[in-house]
Amino acid sequence: MIQGLAIGVLAAGLLLGGWTGIQAYRRRPTTEAQMVGAIVLEAALLVQTVIAIGKLIGGAELDESVTFVAYSLGILLPVPLGFSLARIERTRWGSLSLCFTAVVVAVMTLRLMQLWQAGNG
Amino acid sequence: MADLSETGRDTADAAEDDSPPTGPRRLLIALYAIFALAATARGIVQIATKFDEAPVAYVLSLFSGIVYICATIGLLTNRRWSRPLAWAAVGTEMVGVVTIGFASIIDAEAFPHDTVWSRFGAGYGYVPVILPVLGLMWLWQTRGTFEKHPTTG
Repeated sequence: MIQGLAIGVLAAGLLLGGWTGIQAYRRRPTTEAQMVGAIVLEAALLVQTVIAIGKLIGGAELDESVTFVAYSLGILLPVPLGFSLARIERTRWGSLSLCFTAVVVAVMTLRLMQLWQAGNG
Repeated sequence: MADLSETGRDTADAAEDDSPPTGPRRLLIALYAIFALAATARGIVQIATKFDEAPVAYVLSLFSGIVYICATIGLLTNRRWSRPLAWAAVGTEMVGVVTIGFASIIDAEAFPHDTVWSRFGAGYGYVPVILPVLGLMWLWQTRGTFEKHPTTG
């Protein structure tokens, strides 16, 4: 994992979560910009997963490599779920769904960083 | 925007009055799907890599994952069995999280390895104990509405 990218993803997840959270509080559906934000976040997650698994195959040692791989792949799922719910549910509830999944991604990124650091001393 | 209805209310309040039942349901789908993924993946990884360390805790992880999957399916689909399935799954979840929550606090040694439900889901921001309450509230409030408008699909 690349520390800078991971922190960027973490911040992006929280930012999107906060942004869509405010939108839900204001009783509005997600905006076009937020949907683009979700796509950008998902792209960054994909890049991170590819790099992390690449490094793992390239010989990086981890204590819990199975858990790490499970998280690396699992982290790709929440945002598409939130995205599709926000698309069909054009109310505040769609915004809240995307908000929740974005925060989940941030938390999962934090867990990934812990697993990576624990493995690399 | 001067919209008086926006001021001083949180999202929980709003669930009760002005929203159609599909909205909260979709949020519940998001919540349950994520926990289905988290608990099932956790259970499978634990059982596959270190089953001997704490078989009870790991089987429990997998069990909770299956309960979340059933709840997600119950919420997602709109068949005759959907709501009974959701009731059963969310009810089981409620009983499970309370039982395991108390048990893990009273007898911590019996639960050295965490599950999703240990200590009322403290490891998951206490969402596991809030989730079944929200699920039951939604099921209770929307009782009858789905049976009247069957949309098979």
